[in-house]
Amino acid sequence: MRRALLPALVVTLFIEAVQLTVLSSLRIEGVVVMLVWLWPLCMGLTGFTSLALVTALVAGVFFDTHATTPFGLTALVALVLAYGASRLGREGVGDLDSAAWWVTPFLAALGGFAAPLIYIVAGTGTLDFNLWRGSVLMMMFINAGAFFVLARPMTRLARVIANAGERVHR
Amino acid sequence: MVVAAILTVLALTGGVLSGLRSAANVVVTPFNWTVNEVARPIGHLFAGAINYSDVVAQNQKLRYELGQAQLKANETWPLQRQLQQISTDLNVPYVGSLPTVGAQVTTQSPTNFAATVQISKGRDSGILVGMPVVANGGLVGSIIATTPQGATVRLISDVNSSVGVTFGNGEASLVVSGRGVNNGLSAASVPLSTPITAGTKLATNGLNGGLYPPGLPVAKVASVSLTPGAATYNLVLRPTADLRHLLYLDVVLWEPTA
Repeated sequence: MRRALLPALVVTLFIEAVQLTVLSSLRIEGVVVMLVWLWPLCMGLTGFTSLALVTALVAGVFFDTHATTPFGLTALVALVLAYGASRLGREGVGDLDSAAWWVTPFLAALGGFAAPLIYIVAGTGTLDFNLWRGSVLMMMFINAGAFFVLARPMTRLARVIANAGERVHR
Repeated sequence: MVVAAILTVLALTGGVLSGLRSAANVVVTPFNWTVNEVARPIGHLFAGAINYSDVVAQNQKLRYELGQAQLKANETWPLQRQLQQISTDLNVPYVGSLPTVGAQVTTQSPTNFAATVQISKGRDSGILVGMPVVANGGLVGSIIATTPQGATVRLISDVNSSVGVTFGNGEASLVVSGRGVNNGLSAASVPLSTPITAGTKLATNGLNGGLYPPGLPVAKVASVSLTPGAATYNLVLRPTADLRHLLYLDVVLWEPTA
């Protein structure tokens, strides 16, 4: 895990930069596609739990420092997605080679669909009860669609990074 | 121990969160810069190719509107001078007489859950938390955070934003709430006795202790609906300022009264 950590963190920071500079202005129906949630989810699907959790934490915390929403919520959602995906990944569910082509995108889409809801529920813990007033359904559907499309290339990238660390280690 | 020392320093110099924010900015900036340098030309190419006819049409429309605005300004300056004079005599602040600081929008909110923008001027230019922000002919929002050279503006469409408004002769006051990044504004629980119709223009009421000076245009009523059995109207409002195309804005150097 240690050897894969550095490349994983560098890629995470690039994804963070894409999120902040490109995706924040390239909105679909006013909705931002949250790559900072997709990336840890894809890392989780490779089965490397610790690596997925670290990328989730870094991506989430860096994003939260740029947003005016309650600090830590994005990181919390990323951690939940990464952990859930890594449980599936460890069982081989969503493996790019052995599973049907649609399994990984479908799991990612489920994650994208649920993520805004998890965020809003977690938001109530910070006594912010207004988060649901935005276009939540639109966020869920657009993120689900974008995650479905981007899941395979992102998971492939995650697997390359995770396996590279493993190979060097061996 | 090192972490504790860093946290102590951060806490003493403006809070842990703002310290974290600055540190995160320092780390992400080179990556942002790289991505920006690569993505911007590609983005411009695609945007230019796809939206060319839109851009031309928008340019023509803007020229037309600019001409109209200039004409209106030439026609109304004596009235404005009179209004300013009356406002001064009555000791009522009017935005036309308040100093403003122009600033450029640097970044939009990166999240779906907050309608905010970052601007290029901050405390060094006299901008303080709570000051109203105007652009594109209407109220845009208010300052919620400042740094020496930047500030964060919460837009009126943010779900945590609410603005006290009035209309007509000022006989009734309403509270306008944001409905999220792309959803405009609304006002709920408006009494049936309120004489309001679609097309009514709403402006800040400037009540004593209010967050905004009076007379700033906020929104126009898009539709008035009445839930069967309810004793109040619900209003859907369209912001006067175009909140989706904010490039430059003015911070009104006016602080809310206690």
